[in-house]
Amino acid sequence: MSRVLAYCGFLDDGQITLPKAGVNDAPVEVLACGDLRLLWSEIEWPFEQAGLQRNALDFHRVIHHVFQQTAVVPFRLLSVFDDLGALEVFAAENGERFVADLKRLREYVQMESVVYIIAPRMPADPESGRAYLQQKAAAIRLSAEHAAAVKEAVNAISRDVHVREVKNGSRIFVLVKRGDEDRFRKAVESVPLKEPVSRRVSGPWPAAEFLSAAVKTPQTAGQP
Amino acid sequence: MPSDFEPITLTGSAAEDVSLLEIIDHVLNAGVVIHGSLVISVAGVDLVYVGLNVVLTSVETALRNLRASDAAEGAIQRRTDR
Repeated sequence: MSRVLAYCGFLDDGQITLPKAGVNDAPVEVLACGDLRLLWSEIEWPFEQAGLQRNALDFHRVIHHVFQQTAVVPFRLLSVFDDLGALEVFAAENGERFVADLKRLREYVQMESVVYIIAPRMPADPESGRAYLQQKAAAIRLSAEHAAAVKEAVNAISRDVHVREVKNGSRIFVLVKRGDEDRFRKAVESVPLKEPVSRRVSGPWPAAEFLSAAVKTPQTAGQP
Repeated sequence: MPSDFEPITLTGSAAEDVSLLEIIDHVLNAGVVIHGSLVISVAGVDLVYVGLNVVLTSVETALRNLRASDAAEGAIQRRTDR
């Protein structure tokens, strides 16, 4: 069956170039609703499992194409609408909130640093269990200290910071001005690493972590 | 872990090396969610920290759920209407 896959929303200033093809080479279409533009494609649903990785990359490339030029509100890959009419209703109901977030985040991108520990191996000898737990607790403490230091290091260039605890560490989301990506990387790299703590930096990404709750989980037609 | 991340190069003037897993994580977990109850089964997995096979298994599970849900659309409607 065919469904409507929404990629992202953005504000069109008349200069934005759009990708021609999206997931599974489907043509990329634009829905206009006031100042808001939504990119979408008609796709066969559900996706074939074998092509899922390619679909994810195609989806990412469409969003990234626009994101390189302006702020976007990305949709999630597995979120689809029944048909174009449903997307139009959605846009009419949620357009103003999308526009408000896009204006608020217009000049910003999201950078991320994941701080994690390479956990010590559980020894075969059970009598060493206590030492193992102590070692692991110390590593977790080091990781938390490192995450705090990273947060402090990016303070001068961050508009907002969210920290989420994840397995074996923390994921730090930082809202920075577009163009400050290298400053972010340098700020993170300025924090010395102590084993067994490690970290990874990525970005720029659309500022999805900093969307308002009403935009992240919007009301859809028929919902109360 | 870092060794699990396969760097890829995106096409474009300013090519960036980003991990495939991070892209998959972002396209599945970041942004607007329409059918919350259907995506949560994917979003509950910390995709960045698991291997690609596990990611695809998770997605596979999500797709199985979607197919099952599509087969019982009335049930989906009741769930998303809440």
